[in-house]
Amino acid sequence: MTSPVTEPATIGEFRAAVREWFTHNDLSAGPDHSLDGQVAQLARVRRALYDAGWMRYGWPAEVGGLGGPAALRAVLGEEVASRDLAEPGIYSMIEVLAPTMISYAPPALAAEMVPLLLSGAEQWCQGFSEPGSGSDLASLSTRAEPHGDDWVVNGQKVWTSLAQYSQRCVLLTRTAPGHGGITAFFVDMDTPGITVRPLRTMHGIDEFAEVFFDDVVVPGDRMLGRPGDGWQLAMDLLPHERSTCFWHRVAFLYERLERLVGETATTTATTGAAGADDADLGAAYLALHTIRCRSHATQRRLADGARLGPETSIDKVLLATAEQRLFDTARDLLPGAVELTDPRWRSEYLYSRAATIYGGTAEIQRNIIARRLLDLGKE
Amino acid sequence: MDTAEHDLIVETFRKAMTGSSGAALDAALDELGWADLLAEEPDTAIPVVFTLLGETGSHASVLNDVVAQAGGEPLGTTVTLPFTGGRWVRWERADAPAAQPPSEGAGDLLDPTLPLRLAEPGDPDLHLAAARRALGWWLLGTGRAMLALAREHALARTQFGRPIASFQAVRHRLAETLVALEGAEATLNAATASPEPFTCLLAKAAAGRASLDAARHCQQVLAGIGFTAEHDFHHHLRRTLTLDGLLGSARDLTRQAGAHIREQGHAPRLINL
Repeated sequence: MTSPVTEPATIGEFRAAVREWFTHNDLSAGPDHSLDGQVAQLARVRRALYDAGWMRYGWPAEVGGLGGPAALRAVLGEEVASRDLAEPGIYSMIEVLAPTMISYAPPALAAEMVPLLLSGAEQWCQGFSEPGSGSDLASLSTRAEPHGDDWVVNGQKVWTSLAQYSQRCVLLTRTAPGHGGITAFFVDMDTPGITVRPLRTMHGIDEFAEVFFDDVVVPGDRMLGRPGDGWQLAMDLLPHERSTCFWHRVAFLYERLERLVGETATTTATTGAAGADDADLGAAYLALHTIRCRSHATQRRLADGARLGPETSIDKVLLATAEQRLFDTARDLLPGAVELTDPRWRSEYLYSRAATIYGGTAEIQRNIIARRLLDLGKE
Repeated sequence: MDTAEHDLIVETFRKAMTGSSGAALDAALDELGWADLLAEEPDTAIPVVFTLLGETGSHASVLNDVVAQAGGEPLGTTVTLPFTGGRWVRWERADAPAAQPPSEGAGDLLDPTLPLRLAEPGDPDLHLAAARRALGWWLLGTGRAMLALAREHALARTQFGRPIASFQAVRHRLAETLVALEGAEATLNAATASPEPFTCLLAKAAAGRASLDAARHCQQVLAGIGFTAEHDFHHHLRRTLTLDGLLGSARDLTRQAGAHIREQGHAPRLINL
């Protein structure tokens, strides 16, 4: 693999160069759609894109990047999703993990660690949610107590994606009461006292895990930010999640819509149901076009230096609604595929049910919109 | 055009629309330089004027000008326009005939204040993209007007000893309305930046759908008062349904979009970073 010969000067040139590169470098996934297969494929894609330089664009030089705007990462992720090279949810985790390290880790630690993530050498996870703290994240109770220069962590996390594959974890702990009493650490997952138990999910891909911490000793220099910065760290993730990650997911959904169109062409040839189906296909497409336009505007604002805030809850609701509509349409237009014949549509249909749950439920988003955007006062 | 100039234009047009409607507003818009603005700054003229028509609840026959300009025709003409269901209408440059109360007479239109009348079929090759975009902005403005009325009502109306805006069921309906309108606005901005016919078609579909959703949610929040003709809401509901049908309803256009992607075997990414 070789590095890009010329520096792409614009986003359009970058996209063209990436596309050109992909014509010579086939990274298509193999037949193994299990989680093991997906994670191995993700590492392979990251490694190849890192070696070729593409994965380093949009990241600062201090952490091994080649610089340029964050939009380059959105474009690269779109090209990856459009080719179905990696599952977009796990591909995009980097978009929240790396910026956290850049903003909060001691610079030397970020410089040492972030390239391991970008290059696919390591997987990392994010220990936020707890059994008693879902929508109400700020109520989390996993304790970290000082012990000399170290901290000792006790508690339990849940919904921790890829914990069973991860070398490190960005972990939120309780060090004092209230929002200002949450402190984040960068924890090595092979530290004694950490136990990972994957959760069985209904779509058959067990990417989430429970993580138990029993007297886990974390060195003080692994604290991210200062004591009490954890809530701000969690809030700072939102702009990243709701710009590049969303763009990747939208690209993935366009790919699935095209797959549906292709498969529908075969079924309508036999049933002649095209007229009725067009309304459904059109509605699914319109919902995707709408979130794409909205997400485009959000990324423009971010690039222009705007601070993203509660208005991104609108992006979140539009995306979740579009995703569920698409997979509902797939089930409608490919009768029996989900229930009987097609394990991939089945798994993705089931996973789409979670779109209005993860990352803040649709109800929490609407509460934020009502309170912060419509100024309706308290409930 | 800088922000201050833009704001000045918005305020000037808003004032004109707050005072008048129909033929009088046509005349007022002429005096304010609508024709020059449309010719020189269409990307300002269309969003500003049509959104304000929706927000203020007034109306003017300027849609004819947008169609005429797109077809290279002189402004000031009247164009026969397609309506959903295979019908055609003309938007006259005059006031509507003295409207009967809507419950009387089968010949009345749903929105009796508009100078619309059924017409013989017109030109099937009209350039509709710009006019669809314009109607999209109008529908967006109408949706916003309904949301403003419902929000105001939710904060003022007290039941069970507290404002109904404090009930989550009410809050979520209003939040859904804002989501729909903001999504539609993003498609309209995209259609302004890349005014291809398909992008404009989608924007009209999104705006029509959003305004219909707004009407449904907002009327439910307004409840009894929103069913009376003594509250302004019903004007916006009538306007929404009528504008949705003009140049293709959300349902028509969505189906066309579906047919398009099925025939192409491809879902175009119309907006790119």
